[in-house]
Amino acid sequence: MASAVRSPAPERETFQNFFECWLVEQNQHLQELIAASQQHHSTADDDSLCSLIKRVLENYEHYYKAKARWGKEDVLAMLSPAWTSTFKDAFLWIGGWRPIMAFHLLYFKSGLQLEDQLNELIRGMGRGDLGDLSPCQLSRIDELQAKTIKEEKEVTEKMAKHQETVADSSMLELNHLVSGNDEERGWGRCGSGEGESAMECKEEGLKEMLQRADDLRLRTLKAVIDILTPIQAVHFLIAAAPKDS
Amino acid sequence: MAGICCGVVGESEAATPVETTSRASRRRRMELRPFKLVADAAVQSPLENGRKRQKIELDLLLPSSPRDCNNAVQNSDAKKLNGVNCNGTVKLESENSVEEEKVWPKFGMTSVCGRRRDMEDAVSIHPSFCKQSYQVQISSDIHFFGVFDGHGCSHVAMKCRDRFHEIVKEEIESWGEKAVEWKQTMERSFERMDKEVQDWTVDAKESSSCRCELQTPQCDAVGSTAVVAIVTPDKIIVANCGDSRAVLCRNGSAIPLSCDHKPDRPDELLRIQEAGGRVIYWDGPRVLGVLAMSRAIGDNYLKPFVIPDPEVTITERKCEDECLILASDGLWDVVTNDTACGVARMCLRAQKPPSPPGSPGSDAAVRGGAAESSDKACGDASILLTKLALARHSTDNVSVVVVDLKKNQQPQ
Repeated sequence: MASAVRSPAPERETFQNFFECWLVEQNQHLQELIAASQQHHSTADDDSLCSLIKRVLENYEHYYKAKARWGKEDVLAMLSPAWTSTFKDAFLWIGGWRPIMAFHLLYFKSGLQLEDQLNELIRGMGRGDLGDLSPCQLSRIDELQAKTIKEEKEVTEKMAKHQETVADSSMLELNHLVSGNDEERGWGRCGSGEGESAMECKEEGLKEMLQRADDLRLRTLKAVIDILTPIQAVHFLIAAAPKDS
Repeated sequence: MAGICCGVVGESEAATPVETTSRASRRRRMELRPFKLVADAAVQSPLENGRKRQKIELDLLLPSSPRDCNNAVQNSDAKKLNGVNCNGTVKLESENSVEEEKVWPKFGMTSVCGRRRDMEDAVSIHPSFCKQSYQVQISSDIHFFGVFDGHGCSHVAMKCRDRFHEIVKEEIESWGEKAVEWKQTMERSFERMDKEVQDWTVDAKESSSCRCELQTPQCDAVGSTAVVAIVTPDKIIVANCGDSRAVLCRNGSAIPLSCDHKPDRPDELLRIQEAGGRVIYWDGPRVLGVLAMSRAIGDNYLKPFVIPDPEVTITERKCEDECLILASDGLWDVVTNDTACGVARMCLRAQKPPSPPGSPGSDAAVRGGAAESSDKACGDASILLTKLALARHSTDNVSVVVVDLKKNQQPQ
C-alpha cells in the first residue's frame, strides 16, 4: 500500500526506529511461518510449530511492551502514529487495529481455505488448516468474538466519555489564556488550574485508554491462537502479520 | 426420550476415540453439576445411558447458570425443557436414534454471530415436544424445529425461541382426540406468538440484556422472522413468516418448503399496496422503505403492511427424503438451496475416518461440558454450511439446523 509517511517529530523517532527494527524481526518470523506452513505434513512437528508460534507471540508482546513504554512518555505520538500510512491511520481504533478485526481475518482466511477443500472436508479429510475449524473451535471463537465485541464497546464508550471531557476543559483553557485569569476554577482534580496540568490530566486518561486498547489487542490475538491448532495458528499468524501496527 | 445426546458445543473431542471421551466428559459434566444427577446415570454405559436416560443426560448438559451457557451445549433457557435453545453462541447439537421403540430425530445445529456486531438469530429445537394424542395406538412423538432471525433487536427472536414451541404444543393439544388440522394450528400459533410479543410487558431483568433496552418506540420497531418445522412420522409441516427458509433434500434435489416473504414478491407487493402501504427501494425493496421483508412477528409500527400470518406447507414424508435444512438468510443469501442440499447430503452420507490425534478440539477435554456423538453427521453438516456461508462473505448472523430424515422414517 502506498504510504504517506509523515515526517516524524524528533521525540517520535525513537519508537519509529524501534518499530522498523521490530518489523525486520517480524518479517523474518513471517518467512519462517510461511516455510512452516508449506512443510507441515504431520502433527509430529507440532512441537517445532509451537516453539515458532511462541517466538512470534513473544515478538508481539515485545512490541506492546515497547509501545506501552513509549506511550507513557508521549501518548499523543502513539495515538497518531507517524510510522504508518495516513490511510491506515484513518482506520485506527485507539492507536491500533480493532480487536474485532482478528475475527474477520480469521473468517476470511478460513473461508479461502474452506472453498479450496470443500469436497475433502465433506469426506472428513480436512487438511487441518483454517478451513477445517472444528465445531468446538467455531463455538469458542464465536464466544470469544462476543466477549471481544463487548470489551471493545466498553473501551470505545470510555474513550468517548474521556473525549467529551475535553470540551469543558479546553473551553476553560481558552478562556484562561484570553483572560489571563489564574483564578479560573474548573480543572477539578487536575489541580493547579493551569492549562498544562489540565493537558496532563487528559493525557493520563489517554494513556489508560491506549493501555486498555493494546491490552485487548494482545489478549485477543493470544486467545485466538489458543483456540487454534499449531498449524492453524501458523496460517493465522501469516494472515495477521502485515496487519499489526 | 431416547438416544445419545451428542451436542458438540464449546468443545468437541474429535481427537480421541468417541467411546472413551464420551464417558470421560460425561463424568466431567457430572462433577460440574452434582445436584442435577440421578445417581445411576453415572454408572451406565454411554449407550444404555443414552437410550434410557435422555432426560438426565440433557439435564447434565444443561448449564446450571446462565453464565455457563457460553461453553455448554444448550443455552440456559433450555433447562426447563428437553430442548435446545440458543442465541449468541455456537450451539451444536446432534441426536441419534437407537433403532428401537421410540423414534428420535437426528439433528445438528449451528448458530454464530459471524461478521455482525450483534447476535439477533435464535434457534429452538424440541424433540418429542408433544404427542399426537388422536393416534391412540401409536401416540407418536413429533418434533419442533424453529429458526428466528431478529431485526431491530434480538428480543422478539428470543421470545419466539422461548415460547413458540409451547404455544404450538397447546394448539396441537387443543385438538384433543380429533386429527390435528395443521394449517389452522400453525396459523393460530403464529397469531398468538405475535400477540404475546405485542403484549409483552417490560421485565427489567430481561431488558438488561437487550440492546434496545425495550424502550418504546424502538420496541415497536423490533421483529423477527420465524420458520417453524414440525416433523411427524409421516409429515413435515413448515410454517414460515419472513425470509428464513426451510428446504427439503429429497433424492438429491432441493425442494423449498417455504417461500420467502420479500416485499417485491408480486403477491406480497399487491397485498401491501391493497392495505395502503408502499414498497420503496432503499437498498433493496423495503416495506415503507424500512423493512426488507413483508411478513414478520412483531414490527407493530409496520402493521397492517407487515403481517405475522404464516404460509404453511404440509409435505408427506417419503423414503427418498434425506434431510431438512432450516436456516436464516445469513446462509441463503450466499448459498443456493441446491448447494446447501448437496453439502448436507454428502455430510450425512460421508463415512468419516477417525480423527487424527492432535486435530482440532484436542484441547477441549480440559474445559469440561463437552458432549460427543457416535454419529455427528448432522452437526458436521450444519457447521460446514455455516462455515461455507462465512467463507462466502455472509455479513449476517448465520443459523443452520439440519435434520436427518432418513433413519427415523417409520415403516409405512
